[in-house]
Amino acid sequence: MSSIEHQVPPVRLGRGFWAATAVLTVLAILAIVFWYAFPLERYLPAAIVTARQVDTLFRFMAAAGSALYIFVAGYLVYFAIAFRARRSDPPDAIGVQIHDNHKLEFWWTLIPTLFVILLSIVSVRIWYEIMLEPENGLVVEAIGHQFYFSFRYPQINGEVTDEMHLPLNEPVTLNLTAADVIHGFWVPAMRLKNDTVPGLVTTIRFTPRLAGRYPIICTQFCGVLHSTMNKQVLVIEDKASFERWYRGWQQKNAHASNALPAAGGQAVSLQGGNASAGQTLFAQKCSACHKVAPFDQKLVGPGLKAVLHDPAHPNLVDGKPATEQNVAAILQNGYTGSMGTMPNASANALSAQDIANLVTYLNSLK
Amino acid sequence: MAVAAVHAGGIADHIHPEPQGFVRRYVFSLDHKIIGIQYIITAFVFFMLAGLLAEAIRTQLLNPGGGFVANGTYNEIYSIHGSTMVWLVTIPLLTGGFGNLVFPIMIGARDVAFPWLNMLSFWIFPVSGLMLFSSFLLGAPTAGWMEYPPVSLQGAAGTSMWCAAIFLVGVSSTMTGINFVVTILKMRAPGMTFTRMPLFVWGQFATAPLLMIATTALAAALAALFIERQFGVPFFDPAKGGSPVMWQHMFWFYSHPAVYIMILPAFGIISEVLPTFARKPIFGYKLIAFSSMSIALLGFMVWAHHMFTSGLAPFLQLPFMILTYVIGVPTGIKIFSWTATLFRGKIHYTTAMLFAIGFIALFTIGGITGIFLAAIPFDLHVHGTYFIVAHLHYVLVGGSLMGIFAGMYYWFPKMSGRLLNETLGKLHFWLFFIGFNLTFLPMHWLGMEGMPREVATYDPQFTFWNRFESFASYLMTFAILIFFFNAIWSIRNGKRAGANPWGARTLEWQIPSPPNYYNFKHVPTVYGLPYDFSTPLPYKGLDEELTDSPPVPAGAH
Repeated sequence: MSSIEHQVPPVRLGRGFWAATAVLTVLAILAIVFWYAFPLERYLPAAIVTARQVDTLFRFMAAAGSALYIFVAGYLVYFAIAFRARRSDPPDAIGVQIHDNHKLEFWWTLIPTLFVILLSIVSVRIWYEIMLEPENGLVVEAIGHQFYFSFRYPQINGEVTDEMHLPLNEPVTLNLTAADVIHGFWVPAMRLKNDTVPGLVTTIRFTPRLAGRYPIICTQFCGVLHSTMNKQVLVIEDKASFERWYRGWQQKNAHASNALPAAGGQAVSLQGGNASAGQTLFAQKCSACHKVAPFDQKLVGPGLKAVLHDPAHPNLVDGKPATEQNVAAILQNGYTGSMGTMPNASANALSAQDIANLVTYLNSLK
Repeated sequence: MAVAAVHAGGIADHIHPEPQGFVRRYVFSLDHKIIGIQYIITAFVFFMLAGLLAEAIRTQLLNPGGGFVANGTYNEIYSIHGSTMVWLVTIPLLTGGFGNLVFPIMIGARDVAFPWLNMLSFWIFPVSGLMLFSSFLLGAPTAGWMEYPPVSLQGAAGTSMWCAAIFLVGVSSTMTGINFVVTILKMRAPGMTFTRMPLFVWGQFATAPLLMIATTALAAALAALFIERQFGVPFFDPAKGGSPVMWQHMFWFYSHPAVYIMILPAFGIISEVLPTFARKPIFGYKLIAFSSMSIALLGFMVWAHHMFTSGLAPFLQLPFMILTYVIGVPTGIKIFSWTATLFRGKIHYTTAMLFAIGFIALFTIGGITGIFLAAIPFDLHVHGTYFIVAHLHYVLVGGSLMGIFAGMYYWFPKMSGRLLNETLGKLHFWLFFIGFNLTFLPMHWLGMEGMPREVATYDPQFTFWNRFESFASYLMTFAILIFFFNAIWSIRNGKRAGANPWGARTLEWQIPSPPNYYNFKHVPTVYGLPYDFSTPLPYKGLDEELTDSPPVPAGAH
C-alpha cells in the first residue's frame, strides 16, 4: 500500500454525532427496559419451572440485541442523512478518505468478544439448570406416530392415546421415541422440545409448576397430515385429579397386553382369531395405508381385499407365498419394499391376539 | 503485440479471436461474462417460479384451514420453493452469476482458469433445475429442503428425482469452486496482491473452498438417500439398522457452510457498492477480508447447532453453541465497518446504494436472531417454528437477496451497456423493503407463541398475523414484478451507461460496457487498493484512458 493512504486528515466526530449518540443511548435504555418489563407469560404461560429460565435468557438476549440494533441502525440512518451528497456540493466532491482506525477496530472486536464470553456463561448456566432437573421423577414415555402421540405410564397396560396428564410440582422424566418417522414433541408453554426419533430414546426432564391444559405440537415434518398433529394436550393438574385419571386408565387398559410381540421373535399363534375384532382393528390401524380393495388400488401399500385368495398375486410383496403365517410375519416384523415401509407390530402396538384377529379377518375377505 | 509484451509481466498478450456464430457466442460460450449472464438469466427464471410457489404458500395460509391447495400439494410446494431458492437461485446467482461476471475482470484476468469446465458447470445447472421441477410430475418431495429421513423414504418417486437434481447442481457448484480458487490463486494481474484484491474477490475467495469441500458431503448424503430409496440399502432407516440422525449430520455439514456460500459473496457486493457511492474507502479493508475467511473456516465447525433437538449427547451440544456465538464477532466487525464507511462520506442515493444500506439494516436483524437460536435453551423452544422461518428469511432475503439486487442495479450497466431505470428501481426498493418487513417480522412472535413451520393448516388463534403477512407478501411480489419489467425494458430502452457510470474504481469499470471479449488487450499492472478516491487510479497499462466516466454517479439525485 502506498504511504498516501495513511495520511488521514484528523477526523472530528462533530456535535451531530454526539447528539445522535445521546438519542440512541436513550432509545437503547428504553428497549432494555421494555424487554425486562414485557409480560411474556401473559402471551405464553410458563408451565414448568425451567420455562422461566428460558424467558430470562430470552429477555437478556432481546435486550442486548435490541440495544445493539438500535445503535447500528441508528448510526446507519444518521450517517445516511447527515453525509448525503448535497446539490450544493461540487460534482466531484469526495468523502473524507478514512481507511481505518486501529483503536476503533480493536474495541469493536474486543467488546463483542467479551459479550460472547458473558453470553456463553449465562446460557451454559441456564442450560445446566434445564439439564439438571431431578432424575427420580415419574417416568413417562411419549411415542410419536403418524399422526398422533401415544403415552405410556408405569403400571398402565398398553398405551394412553388421548391426553397426557402430569401431576403438579412433581418431577417428570419424559422418554421420547417414535414408531415410524421423526416427529417433534413441543409444548410451547414448557419452552421445551425434543425430536422423537425412531430407534432412539431421548430424555427430557422437567417439573410442572402451573396447572392447565397446554397444546402438544409436532415440529418436525412427518408426512401429509403433519400440520394436524397438534390436537393433543398436556394436562397439568393437582395430585388427586391426576390419580383419578391414572386409575381410570389402569382399569380401562386392564386387559390390554403390554407384551407386544418382538420383531424377528417367535412367530405368533394364529389360534382363536376373531374376524370382527380384526375388522375393527383394520379400520383403526391399517386403513390409513391399505384399502379393502383389489391389489392395484394402493394408498401407501397395496389393496388387501383377497390378499390370501388372489390368483393374480399368489405371492406377498416380500415374495413369499400368500399364507396366513407369512401375512402374520409381515404384521409382526414390518416390511420395507418399493411401496414404502410398513411398521412392525411394536410400532403399530399390535399384540399377538391383535395379529391373530387381523389375519382371521383378512382370510375372511374374498 | 511486441509492444504489449512489455506490459504483460509474464502473461503473454496472446488473444484468441472471438468465436463467431450465435451458438458459440451466446449458447455454448466459453466467455466468463456470457456464462455469468447465462447464470443470472436462468437463476432469475427459477426465481420467478420459486416466487410463484411462495405466493401459493402465503395464499394457502390466508385461512387457518388452508383450502387453496390440498395438504400434500402444499407440502410439495414449500419443499420445492426452499430447494429452488437455495440451489437454483441464491447460490448460482452469487457464485456462478455475479462471480463469473465480474471477479475475473476485477483481478485483471481475461477469463477464468478453466473456461470449458465453466461452460460445463453452467449447462449442468438448467438441466438439474428442470429435473427438480419435473419431480412435480412424479409426486414432488414433501419433507422440505432438508428431506429428513425416514419421512423422505416414504416420499413419492419425485423425492429420488430431487436427490438426483440436487446432486447434479452440487457437481456444478463443486466445479465452479475449483475454477474460482485456481483463478484467484493463479491469474491475478501483476501487482494484484492479496491485500489489493477488491472485497468482492475476497468474498468469492472465501466462498469457493466452501463450494469445493462442503458440497461433497451433500453429494454423499444425497447418493446415500437415493440408493436407499431406489435399492433399499439401509443407510438411514432405523427399522433396518440405519441412522436417521446421520443424514442430519451429513446434510448440515454441507448446509451450514451453504449459508455462508449464500452470504459471503453478498458481503462482497455490499463492500463494493458502499465505498463507490459514499465516495470513500471501505473502512477496515483488512479486517473485512480477514473476517470473511474466518467466517468461512468457522462455518465448518457449527453444523450441529441445527440439531439441538435431534437427540445429540447433551455435552456435545455446548461447543456448537459457543462456536456459533463466536461467528457473531467477525460478522459484527463487518457490520460495524460498513456502517463506519458511511461516516463523513458524500453519499449518492442510487438504487444499488439503497439496497446496500437496506441489506445492513435487515441482515443485522437476521444475524442477531441467529445468536438467539444458537443459545440451546432458547433454541429448544423455537426450533422448528416460524421463528426459524423469520430468521432464515431475514438472512437469505434481507441479506443475500438484497445483496443480489444491489449487485443487479450496480452491474447491470456492465452487462448490458445500459442503466436500469432508477425511478422504477427506487420504487422496487421501497415496496420490497416495506413488504419484506411486514411479511417476516410477525413470524418471530408467531413462532414463539406456538406456530410450527412446514404446516398446511394452523391454529385459528394465529389467523390475523398470517393474513397480514400474506397481504404484505403480495406487496413484495409486486415490487419484484417492477424489477422484472425494469430489467426487460432497460435492455433496449435504458440510458446508455458508458464505461463507468458510477465513477467506481475497481478494474471492471475501467473497460468498456459491455466489455470486449478478451476483457483487456493489455493486462494492466496494479499499484494499490482500488478504494481511495483522493488518489489517481492505481492501474497502469490499461488499453486506453477512458474519459467518459462522470464524476457524479448516474441516477443520483
